[in-house]
Amino acid sequence: MRDSFSTFHPFVNFLYFVVVLLFSMVFMHPIFQVIALISAVVYSFMLKGKKAVRFNLLYMVPFLLFMAIMNPVFNHQGVTILFYLNNGNPITKESILYGVAAACMFVTVIIWFSCYNVVMTSDKFIYIFGKILPALSLIFSMVLRFVPRYLAQIKVISNAQKCIGRDVTQGNLLARARNGITILSIMTTWALENAIETADSMKSRGYGLPGRTSFSIFRLDARDKVALLIMTGLIAMVAIGAAMGENTMRYYPSIKASAITPFSILVYIAYFALCMIPVLINMVEAMKWKSIESKN
Amino acid sequence: MSTKQVTGRRLSRRTLLAGLLIFVVIPATILLGIFVLDDRKYYFISLLIVLYTMIPFAMVFENRKPQARELIVIAVLAAIAVAGRAAFFMLPQFKPVVAIVIIAGVSLGAEAGFLVGAVAGFVSNFFFGQGPWTPWQMFCFGIIGFLAGIFFKKGLLKKTKLSLCIFGGLATLLVYGGIINIGSLMMFTSEFSWSALMTTYVSAFWFDMVHAISTVVFLFFIANPMIEKLDRIKTKYGLIEP
Repeated sequence: MRDSFSTFHPFVNFLYFVVVLLFSMVFMHPIFQVIALISAVVYSFMLKGKKAVRFNLLYMVPFLLFMAIMNPVFNHQGVTILFYLNNGNPITKESILYGVAAACMFVTVIIWFSCYNVVMTSDKFIYIFGKILPALSLIFSMVLRFVPRYLAQIKVISNAQKCIGRDVTQGNLLARARNGITILSIMTTWALENAIETADSMKSRGYGLPGRTSFSIFRLDARDKVALLIMTGLIAMVAIGAAMGENTMRYYPSIKASAITPFSILVYIAYFALCMIPVLINMVEAMKWKSIESKN
Repeated sequence: MSTKQVTGRRLSRRTLLAGLLIFVVIPATILLGIFVLDDRKYYFISLLIVLYTMIPFAMVFENRKPQARELIVIAVLAAIAVAGRAAFFMLPQFKPVVAIVIIAGVSLGAEAGFLVGAVAGFVSNFFFGQGPWTPWQMFCFGIIGFLAGIFFKKGLLKKTKLSLCIFGGLATLLVYGGIINIGSLMMFTSEFSWSALMTTYVSAFWFDMVHAISTVVFLFFIANPMIEKLDRIKTKYGLIEP
């Protein structure tokens, strides 16, 4: 399935991920955590399908359990003592629950990052930071290009070396290692010489002059503005809720969460909507597509 | 990133901003963590501090309006480091990244060393997956390159195999291992305690050791030829020593 959230302006994508990552790291209230975790999981399924199911089940669930166990072993705060370990340290209910919450937070962040890796491609990143950090983002884009290029060039060099019997697959172990180092050395010389040529070419084409353009052109159109407006509204709502203490959660010495009130329910809904924006956008797009399709 | 508009007219203003960042923003963040966030968000706060420490480097570099040749040599070294990390993906911790970063610091200066390290850490995670560990890796690689550059300038580090290998092994074991383990502790427990930190150091010791040994091995084999090549390029094309 095509992800229509990815087709939005990079700034919308980036703002979304910064905000959800930030909120996921800061909010420890169980309802906020569950909202973030569910949204992250749903969006990762939407983006990556079966691969996400495997990733989440195979790595994230054991990881969550492992971390939930690790915390009470090292942390003995809390008033509700369940039992004592062999070395005399108590295991408390609070530290177990805190371990679960911390693990949940970390897993959510990892799943958000797995979505980030799909949506925020490197050209979008460079588009956003090209204005703020022009030199560094140029280095980023060059390195991204150089890596596959060098790996291809190593093959070329190694094939040439094979013709004269000096590849890493030829000779005894010592000779192989020596050949490998020779190939890397040839590669480095080539890379540096080639780089200077690239630099001179860039200079003669006017690198560093004003009016630089990007490889990918993104336009902030009406759709992006609406999305930004909605996101800003929801962020403000959640931030007000956070400032009013709706997300307060205390684990030690005893567990105390802020109570559920009509206002807090409103904040939960705002947070849920914020986290679900890409999923909602995808669903609306899918419905639009179906309705257009069925008319014809 | 509100400091982006400061063009490098005067050095003092830049230094002032870096000072502001270190003496005002970082303590303010720590206080925010203690009072507003109830001293429970160690990971979040430490992440912010790690990001702050990298901002002055980025600012200084951008304000200098670097030449294309300088940019591209940094990019080449970072790309070699990333390709090296990719080439040895099947051997955990056995990576040439730190070795290349140290070589960059020694032959191109502390600033270039930091940038090669930070960029290599950042870009390699485009291939391996970004995550909350990215800023920590960037910072650790970067700071090793920076230290290598400074030590070389002060004469504590020589362009000899022995000197580079000793520095590389110690830097990987103590600086990289020392910082990255704090980072992973913050990620895994979000609850700081000294015993947990000690456990992390002990359990990670052999990983750090393998990493340090790999750095020494790579430095032993590639340091001299790489430095020679870089020096040759510098002389041939008249790249200015930073």
